[in-house]
Amino acid sequence: MGELIIHIIVPIVIFGFIALFTLFAVYAERKIAGFVQDRLGPMETGKYGLLQTVADILKLIQKEFITPSVADKILFALAPIIIFIAVFIGFSVMPWGPDVLPANTNTGLFFIMAVVAIDAIGILMAGWGSNNKYSLLGSIRAIAQMVSYEIPVGLALISAVMITQTLNLNDIAFNQGIWANEDIYFLGIWNVTDIGGILAWNIFQTPHLLVVYAIFFIATLAECNRAPFDIPEAESELIGGFHTEYGGIRFAFIFLAEYAMMFLVAMLGVVIFLGGWNTPLPNIGGLKLADWTTGIYWGIFWTFVKSLTIVGIQMWIRWTLPRFRADQLMNLCWKIMIPIAFVCMAISGLWRILVMV
Amino acid sequence: MEELLFYAFAALAISSALLVVSLKNTARALFLFFVTLFAMAGLFLFALADFVAITQILVYVGGVLILMIFAFMLSNKELLKDLQSTSSRFIAMPNIQSLLLSIAFLALMTYGIIAWQQQTPEWIMQNIKMNQVIQPTDNNISQLGVKFMTYYILPFEVISIFLLMALIGASQLSRKEGDE
Repeated sequence: MGELIIHIIVPIVIFGFIALFTLFAVYAERKIAGFVQDRLGPMETGKYGLLQTVADILKLIQKEFITPSVADKILFALAPIIIFIAVFIGFSVMPWGPDVLPANTNTGLFFIMAVVAIDAIGILMAGWGSNNKYSLLGSIRAIAQMVSYEIPVGLALISAVMITQTLNLNDIAFNQGIWANEDIYFLGIWNVTDIGGILAWNIFQTPHLLVVYAIFFIATLAECNRAPFDIPEAESELIGGFHTEYGGIRFAFIFLAEYAMMFLVAMLGVVIFLGGWNTPLPNIGGLKLADWTTGIYWGIFWTFVKSLTIVGIQMWIRWTLPRFRADQLMNLCWKIMIPIAFVCMAISGLWRILVMV
Repeated sequence: MEELLFYAFAALAISSALLVVSLKNTARALFLFFVTLFAMAGLFLFALADFVAITQILVYVGGVLILMIFAFMLSNKELLKDLQSTSSRFIAMPNIQSLLLSIAFLALMTYGIIAWQQQTPEWIMQNIKMNQVIQPTDNNISQLGVKFMTYYILPFEVISIFLLMALIGASQLSRKEGDE
């Protein structure tokens, strides 16, 4: 019985976290947008506009359910739920700290890849169900983009997994710090198992994983449909893209899914490439910084700090770069990122055979 | 609890599959097919085949189903109408074929189950005796990988070449003529 209660409480806690994160991420997004565009951002509601997003969500909740008269009612109503649940399930295998994760499975990474694919179905459902040309165009663009960019993401993850030799996200995180079960070599030559810190992260264990992480980061930006890859919801061409017809709480769920997805991919990148819950501070001689800053609470803290930093960079990019054109987007994916990812995969194989014998 | 979940997934798979073939609205049927695939993935989990279950979702939901929906959206309505206007009589040509196929499949499965219940094959008994049974906590993926690269290397490579051929063929078909 106790186990069942935990199985109910954990998802509720994660949902609460996603909702809270979205509230503050929207606020941060608007503040960053304001900073980049040399204005103040929200200032009216609360001190420094802190209550602005709370006010926004209250307004969204009160709104009427409007279903267009020619829409496919069932698909239209189900789409936001599926989009949100797809992303929400992804959090079930993410490690927050050492052994702190809802489900410790051997297929964790693969599971996330599969679950993110469900998101595409939800978007297609929203586009088709709305029975609106803009929505359909937006969703078709979104799918073309998501299906294409799943390939570089997959290849990047495979290159990393070839080095880590496991799909278990908990083990991947463990083997990037002072609590590792096997020896860690900085750039393949210097044993840093006892030093830990930033030197033991996957991107520094093998230098080409830095390139792989860059590919992963760019491709996941496209997976989340974030600027500069936001052609599915290009306001100047498509009004709102696949969520044009949505309002009220349904729109809130689509919005929640978008921000949850941002956090999910940021956290996935952190766990696989940037050391997960491991501390960035290394042991320097007698100064045992890594030993002092590793533990369950420290782990959760570092996961948060790293993931939020990545989310911050995502926002910074959104407000800095202009939107890609559809053909440029596909060129970038198929002609640049996929070949580089393939080369990195080959290097991973060679590295495994020649360096990590 | 587990038994209950198993039957729930099984019932979901069967009922949604029946709905998929009987629905008049093709778009809804295609989206409902997602439920069937998902329930099937759940059933694979009960067979301790977690890799197969996730591959099912990744390949069928993320790839095949989206392709089907795209094909449906891009095909013209006249063509679809033509497909739907098959004979409504029960004993029509397509019905007989599918009926035969399903009865044959059902017979094969019942025969298999009865035969196994009467006498479990030798190799299964031997493996149980030698304790070579998959546990829920085992890491199937590394075993699968090793098997693929050693024992099943030839079929694995043949399938890869086959997929590559399909890819090249697809890009050749979609190429613009005389666009040099």
